[in-house]
Amino acid sequence: MTGRSPSNLWTMARLGNRIRGISRLSPTATAGVIIILLFGVLALFSDMFMPHDPVSSFTDRILQPPSAQHWFGTDGNGMDVFSRVIYGAKFGFGIAIPAVIIAVLIGVPVGLIAGYRGGLLDEVLMRIFDGLRVFPSIILALAVVAATGQSLLNVVLVLGFLDSPVFARLVRSEVLALRSSIFVESAIAAGNPTWRILFLHLLPNSIQGAMAQTAVRAAWAVRISATLAFLGVGIQAPTPEWGAMIRQGAEFMVSGQWWVAIFPGIALILLVFGLNLFGDGIQDILDPRRRVSK
Amino acid sequence: MNFSHFIFRRTLMVIPLLVGVVFLTFMLVRVGGLDPVGLLAGPTATAEEFKMIREELGLDQPLWKQFVIYAQNVIRGDLGESWLSNRPVLDDIMARSLISLELLFWGIGIGTLIGVPMGLRAAFRPNGRFDQTTRILSLLGFSIPTYWLGLVMLFVFFYLLRWAPPGMGRISLMISPPDFITGSYLIDSLLTADWRAAHSALAHLILPVICLAIVSAAPIIKQTRAIALEVIASDSVRYARACGLQTRTVRSIVFKNSATPIITFVGTEITGLVGTMSLIEYVFAWGGLGQYGLNAIVRGDFTAVQGYVLTLALFSVLVFLVVDIIIAIIEPRVDLS
Amino acid sequence: MNLLSVQDLQTHFIFRDIDHQLREAKALNKVNLTLNSGQVLGIVGETGAGKSLTAQSICGLLRPPAKIVGGSVTFQGRELLTLSEDEINTIRGAEIAMVVQNPRSSLDPLTQIGAQLVRLHQTHTGGPLAGSRKKALDMMQAVGIPDPEGRFTAWPHELSGGMAQRVLIAMALINEPKLLIADEPTTGLDVTVQAQILDLLNELVARFDMGCMIITHDLGIVAHYCDQVAVMFAGEIVEQGPTREVFLTPAHPYTQQLLAATPERLQLGVKSQLGGQPPDLFNLPTGCLSQDRCTLATEKCGAPPPLIEISKGHLARCHFVKPAEKGRSKSNE
Repeated sequence: MTGRSPSNLWTMARLGNRIRGISRLSPTATAGVIIILLFGVLALFSDMFMPHDPVSSFTDRILQPPSAQHWFGTDGNGMDVFSRVIYGAKFGFGIAIPAVIIAVLIGVPVGLIAGYRGGLLDEVLMRIFDGLRVFPSIILALAVVAATGQSLLNVVLVLGFLDSPVFARLVRSEVLALRSSIFVESAIAAGNPTWRILFLHLLPNSIQGAMAQTAVRAAWAVRISATLAFLGVGIQAPTPEWGAMIRQGAEFMVSGQWWVAIFPGIALILLVFGLNLFGDGIQDILDPRRRVSK
Repeated sequence: MNFSHFIFRRTLMVIPLLVGVVFLTFMLVRVGGLDPVGLLAGPTATAEEFKMIREELGLDQPLWKQFVIYAQNVIRGDLGESWLSNRPVLDDIMARSLISLELLFWGIGIGTLIGVPMGLRAAFRPNGRFDQTTRILSLLGFSIPTYWLGLVMLFVFFYLLRWAPPGMGRISLMISPPDFITGSYLIDSLLTADWRAAHSALAHLILPVICLAIVSAAPIIKQTRAIALEVIASDSVRYARACGLQTRTVRSIVFKNSATPIITFVGTEITGLVGTMSLIEYVFAWGGLGQYGLNAIVRGDFTAVQGYVLTLALFSVLVFLVVDIIIAIIEPRVDLS
Repeated sequence: MNLLSVQDLQTHFIFRDIDHQLREAKALNKVNLTLNSGQVLGIVGETGAGKSLTAQSICGLLRPPAKIVGGSVTFQGRELLTLSEDEINTIRGAEIAMVVQNPRSSLDPLTQIGAQLVRLHQTHTGGPLAGSRKKALDMMQAVGIPDPEGRFTAWPHELSGGMAQRVLIAMALINEPKLLIADEPTTGLDVTVQAQILDLLNELVARFDMGCMIITHDLGIVAHYCDQVAVMFAGEIVEQGPTREVFLTPAHPYTQQLLAATPERLQLGVKSQLGGQPPDLFNLPTGCLSQDRCTLATEKCGAPPPLIEISKGHLARCHFVKPAEKGRSKSNE
């Protein structure tokens, strides 16, 4: 029984064991992490990887196919598609991370309070969430961004806001299950103030499900923000954002200049796929039923 | 008797949701801070004109009163006028809804027919090779942007292979559409035995339908697998195994018991797929409600946007209602009273 | 030849933990049992002692991560553990039938009662449909379901718990099995209904001359209905024998504790009444498994205790048990 030793000291060997264990437990999560890290490096150090300026045009090299000089070819403005695809990673993370943080910061407290307080407040919130659910999320995001003003900041805020019910629902259902449990009742009986019960007792015990969802929600945010850009809402060409680049390349797809739209599309798929793989793998790790050895 | 009563009461229960939907749609444009008066009056309007338009639109009233006016108009079927088409929004929507429904019907139909058997098969052998493969494929399906998939399909099947017609509309411009019977060019031309039109309609339909089917199949596979796994672990299936029923029989029990949650899930998926459909329409210039709505959003025609969003939401509510009724029919456990 | 004979049955849970270490919980440790036609054997023990797992292992109903790692199960002279899924399917529900707990959730919710009985009869016995239908109605009559014709088209959710358990018994008996395994057949039923169901089971076992295994944590049930009893602890049978003898002269300290803990209603209560915890199945002690909670335990309990025959058919696994007639010779002192 090597997994269990009386000492709780974390030696490097044990840490290595755990990483190796998790990676074998869920190869999908590992593949996801590798893809995400790869894009993370591209986003943080894009200057090192970009052979050209992503927004300066070579007016003499418009719509050139992939070559040694321009690996992914050039677009209709004569900009280097490869450099633009790499720079696009900044937008992927730059939108998804703050959007998910906003969603968590709104959704988790709302779920905590709604679940704990119950009553009319809870009822009203749930009705609003039910109402929101009958609107397709893409269309709602599009319409709200279009209505509230088309800026990058607005895109982030709207995505975060629209996604917060996901977290609120998850936390609320956990809190409902925990509310009448003995440890909460005794915390109340001991005279703890409500905020203490909410954030010290209920939060740590109800947040796991919500946290497991963050990767999948980040994937959603990357996808939706690219869709907005594809439609020209919020982010405008020639910003080197993947969705906007696909928009620029759309017209060339039926005339044969495939590289303008294909490459940003592949980058977008890879990052979203990596986040989804990671999110799916986390559920593997959290669910012991899926952990059977052959 | 009992059943029609059930449907009636179930329909009544939708009313609060409908009020919420109308309210959210109303707020959608009001919270935007966009001034419809400015749009209507134009840049040269005087303060006097502004005030007049404001009163005409009821914008000098308090918010709740504005909402009541809006709700009354909606009930009367008055969704306002689109400034892009200069026609009543309701007329625009009515003309395009059936066109979109055709795409949605085939896309979701095929997506479900692919997704459910694949999910079930994966669940019968969890962690097997088929399961692993479909899991990766369905996650990939989650990750592919619909519009990009449509563009790639056009590139491959229209530009490279010349198999498919260009992504412009539902039928070749050279062919006159069939007479209106159901609204679906394919079905109508088949009914009128217009084979040339049927061929062209089918050719135009295939690519967008495949796109929608792929995108809708991915979540259906994943969810069907999860549902079936849960059913397999249930008391009744474990007992069926303990009774020595044949594998075939046990699987049919699993399938029957998974049906209700799967139908519910597909019902809720339709809400999201209506958005996906709009993007596919946009890429293939399908000319349906989705393309109309996206154009309205992109160009800031907010009366039309409101009508479009409201229509989609009402459609979802209708789908939920139909799903509830279907379940009431197939489930002996649903209490009709 | 015994109807059922279980020898050295070992079932383990094998899986990988979060550090990808292979972990193995030894849930059944060399279980030995025999059962003859017409006999009723009670298996008692605390939650987690391995009672249900024994039944599931016998019927080949284990699901990963549970796995049989050793031993043999012979039914009417036929080895069951090596059979394929299809082969064992012809025995399950036909020659070996099970009655499970949670009867209401165990019936197929989307099939009417009569159709479920007919389906089961058709699967194993076959013949014309009309014959199966008649058999189903007969069985419903036999298990005391009032108005069998009327209930034939009832849905499972329309039945009470007791009625559903009667349906389960009818399903178990419809193919005239040789062995009936009842796994906690009365858990979750009202006390009055419990007695009815058990009386019914008892009567039917006698009428059809079956072997019957009743798994329960209720010593009262064992005392009333079982000829033989096996006491399980930590995946091991610590004492077995004729019910009367085991109850009157319990040999194993754990059995003594168990009986002492249930003075009035003979109902096994919470674990704490017995003191101590069952051993960690991941990390079993060498020697006697109950040494940590046994008041008699000494150093010699670190060695595996012998199985001692106290009187004919009454066996206990303990260092301190003395054979009643042959003196101390067998206890390896």
